[in-house]
Amino acid sequence: MKVPYSWIKEFVDIDKSAEEVVEKLNETGLEATVETFGEYIPNIITVKVLSVKKHPEKDRLYICEATDGNKTYQIITGADNVKKDSIVLLAQIGADIKGITIKERKFGSYTSEGMFLSLEELGLADNADGVWLLPPDTPVGVDGSKLLGLGEEKLIEIDITPNRGDALNVKGLAREIGAIFNIKRKEKKTDIKILNRLIPNISLETDKCYRYRGIVINNVEIKPSSLEVQLKLIKSGQKPINNVVDITNYILLQEGQPLHAFDLDKIEGKITVRNAKDGEKFLALDGNEYSLKSDDIVIADENGVIALGGIIGGETTKVDENTKNILLEAANFDYISIRKTSKRLAITTESSYRFERGIDVESLPEAENKAVEMILDLAGNNSEVMGEKDIYLYPYQPKEIKVRERTVKRIIGIDIPKEEIADILNRLEIPTETIEDGTVSKIPAFRSLDLTREIDLVEEVGRLKGFNEIEESFPSIPINTDKNISYYKFENRTRDFFIDNGINEVITYSFVGERIYKSLNLPLPDIEITNHLTTDFRFMRDNLAVSLIQVQKENLRHQIKDIAVFEIGEVFFNDFEEIRIGILLRGDFIKGFNFKKNKIFFTTKEKWSFLEVKGLIESYLKLLGITDFELKHSEKTYLNQYESAEIFVRGFNVGYFGKIHPEVAEKVEIHKDTYIGELKLKYVSRKLKENALKDGYLYTYFKLKDTPTFKDLPKYPSVKRDLAFEVDDTVSVEEIFKELGNSSKLIEKISLFDIYYLDENRKSIAVSVDFRDREKSLSDEEINREVESIVKKLKEKIKGLKLRG
Amino acid sequence: MGLKEDLLKLKEEAKKLIEEAKDKNSLDKIKVKFLGKKGEIKQVLKSLGKLSPEERKDIGKVANRIKEEIEGLLKDKLAYIKRIELERELRENRIDITLPSHWIETGHQHLITKTLQEVVDIFISMGFSVAEGPEIEREDYNFDMLNIPKDHPARDMQDTFFINKDGYVLRTHTSPVQIRTMLTEKPPIAIVAPGRVYRKDMDPTHTPMFHQIEGLLVDRNITYRDLKGTLQKFLQEVFGKDTRIRLRPSYFPFTEPSFEVDISCSMCDGEGCRVCKGAGWLEILGSGMVDPNVFEAVGINPEEYSGFAFGLGVERIVMLKYRIPDIRLFYYGDMRFIKQF
Ligand SMILES: [Zn+2]
Repeated sequence: MKVPYSWIKEFVDIDKSAEEVVEKLNETGLEATVETFGEYIPNIITVKVLSVKKHPEKDRLYICEATDGNKTYQIITGADNVKKDSIVLLAQIGADIKGITIKERKFGSYTSEGMFLSLEELGLADNADGVWLLPPDTPVGVDGSKLLGLGEEKLIEIDITPNRGDALNVKGLAREIGAIFNIKRKEKKTDIKILNRLIPNISLETDKCYRYRGIVINNVEIKPSSLEVQLKLIKSGQKPINNVVDITNYILLQEGQPLHAFDLDKIEGKITVRNAKDGEKFLALDGNEYSLKSDDIVIADENGVIALGGIIGGETTKVDENTKNILLEAANFDYISIRKTSKRLAITTESSYRFERGIDVESLPEAENKAVEMILDLAGNNSEVMGEKDIYLYPYQPKEIKVRERTVKRIIGIDIPKEEIADILNRLEIPTETIEDGTVSKIPAFRSLDLTREIDLVEEVGRLKGFNEIEESFPSIPINTDKNISYYKFENRTRDFFIDNGINEVITYSFVGERIYKSLNLPLPDIEITNHLTTDFRFMRDNLAVSLIQVQKENLRHQIKDIAVFEIGEVFFNDFEEIRIGILLRGDFIKGFNFKKNKIFFTTKEKWSFLEVKGLIESYLKLLGITDFELKHSEKTYLNQYESAEIFVRGFNVGYFGKIHPEVAEKVEIHKDTYIGELKLKYVSRKLKENALKDGYLYTYFKLKDTPTFKDLPKYPSVKRDLAFEVDDTVSVEEIFKELGNSSKLIEKISLFDIYYLDENRKSIAVSVDFRDREKSLSDEEINREVESIVKKLKEKIKGLKLRG
Repeated sequence: MGLKEDLLKLKEEAKKLIEEAKDKNSLDKIKVKFLGKKGEIKQVLKSLGKLSPEERKDIGKVANRIKEEIEGLLKDKLAYIKRIELERELRENRIDITLPSHWIETGHQHLITKTLQEVVDIFISMGFSVAEGPEIEREDYNFDMLNIPKDHPARDMQDTFFINKDGYVLRTHTSPVQIRTMLTEKPPIAIVAPGRVYRKDMDPTHTPMFHQIEGLLVDRNITYRDLKGTLQKFLQEVFGKDTRIRLRPSYFPFTEPSFEVDISCSMCDGEGCRVCKGAGWLEILGSGMVDPNVFEAVGINPEEYSGFAFGLGVERIVMLKYRIPDIRLFYYGDMRFIKQF
């Protein structure tokens, strides 16, 4: 809400500048800004039009004579709303309008000595139909800029938090400013005469309207508002329409009470305030027809709905230039109901915005009376207030709330004596008295939604006391229990490992679309967002590969073809979540010049391949203390099954890695030598108290790993023997390693040094084995015997194995 | 001519030859020529028999000395030649040290996790623990128990993503971790909870996913002053010792009183500039004293305990600190961006 500062000053005698006020408002909790209204434009003057005639030579142009009281001007205009006696703003020769200097200008054989101005040309509206016609009470021959307050008037804009509906009007702001600066607010009470000649026939048939007051005013003359009303509305960002409509808007801004004026003569019979019928139709002032539901509150006559309570008036009963008699409505509706309706029908009005944030039910009659007073003043001498009906079944009972000095001390941290507490609250117009251990307040209706508990008043006290001035202290924090720090550290260590090994961290959206899942031949994820932003953000991913492939594609768009990225993030399933690390690797990871003895420098490139990726993962697992794991061929739809593996620790699948399937690569347009992997780091439960250390997660195994204990350093030397085996091709290297390892206690280390194919079905595997006995030096003879026994055991375990050489 | 003179002459001759020698081969030849079994010294000594025992002894001494001298010269020269040869070999194998290197280029950490770690580490050093919760969160933990009932305008402040799982939403803030922690632990509680959150929003300053860090301290006698002190300490760690902070009363449903916390703009030192839009202050986080309704929802007696909570948007801090113009840059995975930091 934006209002002129001068309007606020009508309600509080304050001599501070708008800037000072705004600063204090911000410090005490209302977000406020200040700006100057427009810019002073020299050479603008108010003139009265003496005559208007059509331009004899030019279509659609008019020749006007206008006077400033001394001088008469000939003005050519295209606006057809200028009439004899209109008072308008004239930009004289030399005036700067939107960067253009007004000069004498010939239209045919006639000369124009200036230009009539619209609101748009003054920079006060985005569009305007025709010249701005000033009301008849406007003085003629005065400086237009000064009259409007251009470049002078300060406007204060307030952006409220949802609990401060009370500050959404001039009066409320004045109250707040008065409290801050400790100045009593002023207000002129109304005095209107209500005849009892025509009591409107209104009945209330819903519990969602707390108060409904209708007033009938006769013989209203619909015309433009006074200059003062128009200017206030324009400065507050509203467009003047006619006196009655302007006054309802004016009161809304000033008092915070939405009002609605019906053309009484268009209302058919009895008026009912009720819930809408399901499917009931309503043609609103915005020109749209809405279909209503039984939750909506409506005002209806015998022909149907004439207004959507608290939100928008109806087309059928709207006030127009022919209106004579009006019914002025002031009501208080249930804020939840208004909110629901406004949201469902997507209509937000100044009225609904205020109702949703709470309206002062108690000052409703006074606010409405102010409007009546203005209507009587501005809408003609013959008007009379024919009668009123105020339905207010359960009058407001102020809640009593105590504030204990002890609570203030416990929350804010300083001693504030009860007298001061009472003083602060009274300044806020919350009637408060002191009692033995604190204060007791009667909460006025305008804060009834916001102030419901002791703590709410404690905040008010601190706010006006000035939270910023209160000195800080530092709490003594109990020693942390390390419970989750260890996962935090685990994740950091994981991240560091991959970064140190040349992989770049990315963070991608957890959202994924159907398209990428189709391309990867994957079933759609469990979790679907029902109100997703776009189809690419429709699901919550259940793997990281889909996200990383999109990162690769994004980089390919920028011709970045070598890529090494990882992401640590969650994936989502119906009943749980997992934190995973995903990696995607493609292309060269080492490029450089190498030096050879023959003095030739040449470029080397090392490309990510299955074994490099395996090595990366293996050394990460080793870092975690996990050295015992098994690999099995992966059956993932998007991987090349011959170059990919699922990883098992203690029999549980902890992740996978491998090469992308060439068909998938082609479909999603990425390189075929792309490697992808995912490791499951941690189980994330949605249940309270569920043990998150589940099997199948690396963090679990990291936490469960045994602490190694010291073994004596070997005293006796180890002996190396090379062995070569001939086996069937179906026998894996790992199998041989495993069986070898199991076959002798003396084997300390086995390393592969050669492997080659003898024919299609047979291969030779050469290994180097380190033997060591911790008790003594091994003799050649002992080793020979050991090798014999090993080979014998191996032959039993592995069919077709032969020792070579 | 005596034998002595012959020997001295040989020495001079050997010395000259050694000096002239260019490689090990020549030295070997010199050695054979003078010191070998049929070498020249031996030849000279053959005529020793004709001499008296005293003379023989005398000449023998001279011959030995000369032999040693020549051996010494040969050794020195050999060492010299070896050094020269090594030098030549090293030079021949020399490398252009300005050549592009040959090793894994260290990867880059994402600015978000980097900043997140910095923040969390500060709180860990103050004694806070790390807490966590799922990103698909129970609606009541995300809203109701945080004092945000249905149809409360505050639910509008956070555009929620709903999912095909009744009673669950994508968490709109990290605050439900407060609820989870307080439901499972008794005070004193001191936690920070970093993580991803989701809101239905997309423009240069908003993405539908972003990161928050939640903090919560609950104990007896925790006051607003502790909140101010803790945040001041934290913000000065992140933004520098001279940073001033300002707490503006505001509104969050789960804290009362609530505060927006501003820091003095480091670009203009509070004078007002483009970064702070002339205000001299930058809004950095939201905070407040835990609302009694929240305590009641989790079964903590608000008459006995009090506490403060705060939540900060990590992206905002990163954008301010590194002057990043568009929040969406964080999530493309564009290496041209990632590798800048
Ligand atoms: Zn600045």
